[in-house]
Parts: sequence; structure tokens; C-alpha cells
Amino acid sequence: MIPDFDQQGQAQTKEWTPEVQAPAILLENVSKSYGRIFALSNITLALNGGVTGILGMNGAGKSTLFNLLMGKIKASQGSIKLFGTNPWKNPAPYARVGFVPEHEKMYDWMTAHGFVSTFARLNGLTRDEAGIEADRVLEFVGLTDVAYKKIGEFSKGMRQRVKIAHALVNDPELIILDEPLQGCDPLARTTIMNVIRELGKMGRTVLVSSHILQEIERITEQIVILHQGRLLALGNLHSIRERLDQIPHRISIEAENPKALAKDIIDIDEVFGISFPDGRNVSIQTHNLGAIHARLPKIIVENGHKVSSIDNPDDDLASILGYLTSGGRV
Amino acid sequence: MATKPDSVFRSLDRKAAAIVEFTLRQYRTRTSTWVVLGVGFTALALIFLIYIDVMASEFESVDNDGDSFDSDGDGYPTGQERKLGTDPFSDESHPGMFDPPIEPEPASKYINEDGFDWDVTASFGEQSTGYDDDGDCLNSNRTASQKDTNENGIPCDVSIQRFTSPTGEIVIQIFADEGVDEDPDEDAYTREAIHLGFVLSIGKLGFVLLLGIFLPLFMATGLIRDEMTSGTMHYMLAKPVARSEVFLYRTLGYLGIVWPYVIVLGILGALVSGFVGSGDDFFRFADLGVWLAIVFATMMATLVYGMLFNALGVLWKYGIILAIPFAAWELGMALLSMGAPDATILRFSVIGWALMIIDSVAMMVWPNLDTFILMGEWGGGGQGSDIFGSSSLQGSVPLSFFSSKPGLGLSAFASTIVATLVLLIQAVVFWFIGGALFKGKEIQ
Repeated sequence: MIPDFDQQGQAQTKEWTPEVQAPAILLENVSKSYGRIFALSNITLALNGGVTGILGMNGAGKSTLFNLLMGKIKASQGSIKLFGTNPWKNPAPYARVGFVPEHEKMYDWMTAHGFVSTFARLNGLTRDEAGIEADRVLEFVGLTDVAYKKIGEFSKGMRQRVKIAHALVNDPELIILDEPLQGCDPLARTTIMNVIRELGKMGRTVLVSSHILQEIERITEQIVILHQGRLLALGNLHSIRERLDQIPHRISIEAENPKALAKDIIDIDEVFGISFPDGRNVSIQTHNLGAIHARLPKIIVENGHKVSSIDNPDDDLASILGYLTSGGRV
Repeated sequence: MATKPDSVFRSLDRKAAAIVEFTLRQYRTRTSTWVVLGVGFTALALIFLIYIDVMASEFESVDNDGDSFDSDGDGYPTGQERKLGTDPFSDESHPGMFDPPIEPEPASKYINEDGFDWDVTASFGEQSTGYDDDGDCLNSNRTASQKDTNENGIPCDVSIQRFTSPTGEIVIQIFADEGVDEDPDEDAYTREAIHLGFVLSIGKLGFVLLLGIFLPLFMATGLIRDEMTSGTMHYMLAKPVARSEVFLYRTLGYLGIVWPYVIVLGILGALVSGFVGSGDDFFRFADLGVWLAIVFATMMATLVYGMLFNALGVLWKYGIILAIPFAAWELGMALLSMGAPDATILRFSVIGWALMIIDSVAMMVWPNLDTFILMGEWGGGGQGSDIFGSSSLQGSVPLSFFSSKPGLGLSAFASTIVATLVLLIQAVVFWFIGGALFKGKEIQ
């Protein structure tokens, strides 16, 4: 521990009692089964601080995990603790939690401010306090201008932001967002991502689920991958990605003159194969995605190729999952 | 954030008031709310209109004892001949033969000429009451035995006898001396009977049964269930509020719509029946007590059914289907309570207790209701007439159907208290059941 040089050497008079801070989320051997089907099996996980992305295909168990955390369903086995308390038995920890559900349905007849302040009062705020807090969080998500408009008139992205605002109104230490970017336009996407990153910087524990790798990549490096109810990977996305870069990848480029482009690309050492799936595309095979991406723009610009799109069809969750589930073989 | 210490009231004010207010506003935005409330209002308004129309019409006066007829064709009505001691069945004998001769009186004078003069104070045993207004019993030409045909030793009276039969039933028999209270005023009686019967019937069937069951059926069943189905329950459950609290506050929000509605309809009913009702007074203030009981009983019914149907909604997606057998059971119990108010099975219903409140208060507000029904059913006893088979006055039969005695064997006041307590306990039990069901429910 770093010594505190400002300290004046006062002897401690009281006996020091260690403050055991329970982690925001603690799951131990948690399983959830419906009949003989396991939606989640044997998950052990502790999270405290920072933004964590929960990645998984549809049906991987992301929503089940969140439902368990939010006390909506009961774990078949294992123990779940939010700040040291089982949420199925006691809703008290939710005073420190903000939850953004995936469900699209909202109270369309309410104004954004009405919605946020009404639900703020359920956290124990008075009407006046709730009103002030609602103004604050609506500003945080950039909805001050439309705060008194009906939610029914809002676009998908605005609705998501209202949901996020409602979850932030109690200044929570743990924020859980279930697919917050789904169906949003790019602008709303950027705003929401910024909000989430901001929350992470503020030292909050944030849990974001998604089935799209690129989304999570833009928000956080710390990820949890769920697959068929199991915890497949836990840790830094980059370390997973680096390993992933070593496996064969395809890059698909749509260009005006694919043949000419292919001629220039073949010079790159890392390229070991080129094919032409149709008249407009050229497909490159490589073991080193990063190197190609580093050199590709220069080649295109220098040789004056007209390119309309560059796509990595393998760089998605499915291929990561494929890689991870096959034990590293592709 | 809040820094002030939280009293129970403050924390209630926050969470409870927020959910109640939210629920109220949610109801307001729903078309179904207005349809249900509108249908209820229209149904009751139609019944009020029919009542106003009935009260505005005349009820034909009947000559119950048949003494307005001139049986022997001598020009003198039977009543006049009887009074003056001539033979009503012989045209050889009539007051025109007197010296000086007496002119015949109009027949109308012998219709409704002898009304009820009952003052029943005893509730058991034998009591003598009644008075011969038209003098056809007290006539000095008659002998003592003619004046005391019921042989109770009192001339020209009505003897009411109540006793317990060997099978345990209370039997009431009425023996009147010939010519006493034999020709009551039908219009006055029927008007009053219809008025009282209307207040009781609309209170029991219109308010407690119709509003008391259908408002909760359509409005409370979805309180939790609709939110669960649409997925919006997530917002409420993601807050530090216990589920049984959510259940309670949602129900309170529903009562926030239903109770004012019932009160408004009750006031409307009290005004209509108070102004239009029979009697010489400008407004029947005494009835307000019964209307208060009707509104109160309906509020209690909507509370208990609200909790119950809300719980059924939590239990099953199609909770309204579970609620229908309850509604049918309660309908049966409502009808049973009118016929057999002391049946034990009524204790296993909600409506039996709610109706007991109305019956008990009606007993307190209208202490003479029993006697009134009794005299109407007796209706003069059909004396001196072989024309009319049934002597009951119009309006007495429905009135006696809709009014019943609180079947607990307690005083009216005690019955009101007991019934209210039982209803409150029922509400709390259904709250606990609903809260427990909700608590154990997995919400996807």
C-alpha cells in the first residue's frame, strides 16, 4: 500500500473492523433448467466495477442470466447475490441497481419525464426529488428537448435512451442493460455507447448484453461469452481476438474492377489465397487479419481502385464461438 | 438523494403513492375502462329512469272489501248500508226508508276508506293494534261478539300473533275483527312499497352484485397479469419494492377509480330516489342511511373481489375464466341471501356479507319495514269480499323478496360491524394469497 504522506501520524483510537464489501454480482454454480433443458448451467461469476459485455447468440442464456439477476426467475441450483443479497428473496438490492429490459413495450401514454420520475419514486424518492432526478438523467442521455413528449411518439433509439434514463435515476452502482443497441439507428447507437462508456468511467459496474461482437467491441474489452447456457469465455476481448487472428480469415471486397485489385493484393505476404465469388467481389484468405487491414487502405488508395465495401464475414460472434467451441481448431 | 429519515408514512407516500397514481393514470388512458364504467352507468341510469316512470304513474285504487258496490240494486253502496244497519243484500231494506230518508253516498267514498293504523312494537308473541276508521265495525248496532270476531277480547282490533312452530320456524298470523283496516289505500301503499323495494333491489342487485362483481371482473383481473403479458412488469419489479406491495398498491389504484365511481352512482341514486320517492316530504332524508350502506357494501365488495380477481389473474394467464365460476357462485349466493338469509353456506361467500350490511342498516333506518311488509301481505285480509282471491297489496311481494333480515341472529348494528370485519379479513386473506402467488411467479 502506498503510504499517505499527508497523514499526521495520529494513532488510531478505534479498533479497525474490516469492511467486507460484497461484489455487485456474485454467482456461484448457478443453473436454471426448464424441465430437462438447461437454460444456464453451472455459471460461476463475480463482477465488480467496469463495463462487462455479455456476448451470446440468441438463446445462449443472456436473458435468463439477467432474469435471474433481476429476481424475476428462481435459480434451479446455486446461489445468486447482488451486493450480498439474494434478489429472488429480497428486492432491497435493487435500490442500487438500474435495469434496462430488452422488451420493446413501454408505457406509450406517458411522457419521458413522467415515466422516469414515476419509476424514480419507486426507489423511495419523493415526487419533487424524482422530478429533479428525472431532469438530470434525461439530460445525461440527451433527451431534455423531448422530455415532455409522449413516449409513443419516440423513435426506437429515443425509447432506448428513455429506458436507460429510467434505469439511471437512482444513481445505481450496478447497471444492467439487456440488448440496449438492438434496432437503434447509428446516431442513437453512438449516443448509447457513449453513455455506457461514461458510466464505466464513473466507476459503475455495467453489464451489457449483445449478440453482435462489433457493438461490444466498441464499448468494452471485458467480455463474458455465453454459449448454450454455458460460460464459454471470460476475460479480455483482445486476447481472444489475437488468438482468433491466427486462424484463417476471409476478407470480402466489393470493387469496380476486382481482377485489377486482386493483382495488387496478391503481393501482400500474408495473403495465401484469392477467389472471385462473383463478378463484383474479390475474396482474400489470410492468417493475419490485422496485417491485411493495416496495408489494405494504402494499396487501394495508391492504385486508385474504386471500392464500395470491405467486409469480414468471419469476424463475428459465430466464428469466435466456432473457434472456442472447437477447442481452437478451425 | 433523500437524506431525511424515512417514516413509514414517507416511504409509503413514495412507493405506494407512485404506483397508485401510475395505476390511476393507466386506467384513464384505456378505452376499456371507459367502456366498462359507461356500461355500468347506462345500465343503472336506465333502471333509475324506469323507477322515475313508475313513481310518476297512478296505482289503481281497489275496493278491497267490496263495499262500494251496490249489491242489492237499491242505490246505496254496501258500505253505507252496513254502517247504517240496513240489509245490504235486500232492496227492501235501505237508508232511504228511514225517517227522514238519507241520501245515497257516492261509491268512491267506500274505496280506501279504512287504512292501516298499525303500531307494531312487539317482535314476538301477540299484540293488538289497528283502528276501524270507517266505523263499520264500531257501529253501535253491532253486538259485542260481532265486534270481536277474532275473539281476543278486544273489540275492533287486529291481532298479530308471532310464535315458533314445532319445526322451529317463526309463524306470523294476523286475525282482524271484521271491518277493521279492511280497505287500505293501494296507491299510497304500493308507491311506498315500490320505493323501498327499489332502493333495496338496486342496492343489492344493481350495486353490490352488478357493479361489485363486474367492475373487478373487467378491471382488476389484469392489474398484474396485463403487465406480465406485455413485459412492462419488468420496470416495476426492477425497483426495491416487494411484489406483494406491488400487488397491494395496484389494487389500491384500481380502487381509486372504482370507489369514486361507486360513490358518484350512489349519490345519483340517493338523489333520484330521495326526490322522486313517495311521501309528503320534499326529500326523503331517512333513506340516505340505506344509500350509505349500499355504497359502503359495494365498496367492500369491489375491494374483496378486486383482491381475489387480481390474484386469479396472477395465478393464470386467463384468470378471468377462473373468476367467472366465482361470479356465478356469488350470483347464486345473492339470490339465496334474499330467500334464506340465515343459510350457513352464505358465510362462504363475499356477497352474503356485503348484503348483510344493507339488510342490517335498512333494519336500523326503516324500523317499521317488517310491519309494513306484513300489512301489505295481509292487505286487509280480503274481508267481506268474495271477489278478490289474493288480498296482498301490489308491491308487497317484491319488497318482501328484496328485504331480508341479517341472518346472524345479532342486532342490526352488531351485524353491520361483523359483516364489515369479515369482508376486511377476506380482503386481507386474498391479498396474502395474491401476494404469495405473485412472489412465487417466474416472470419471463
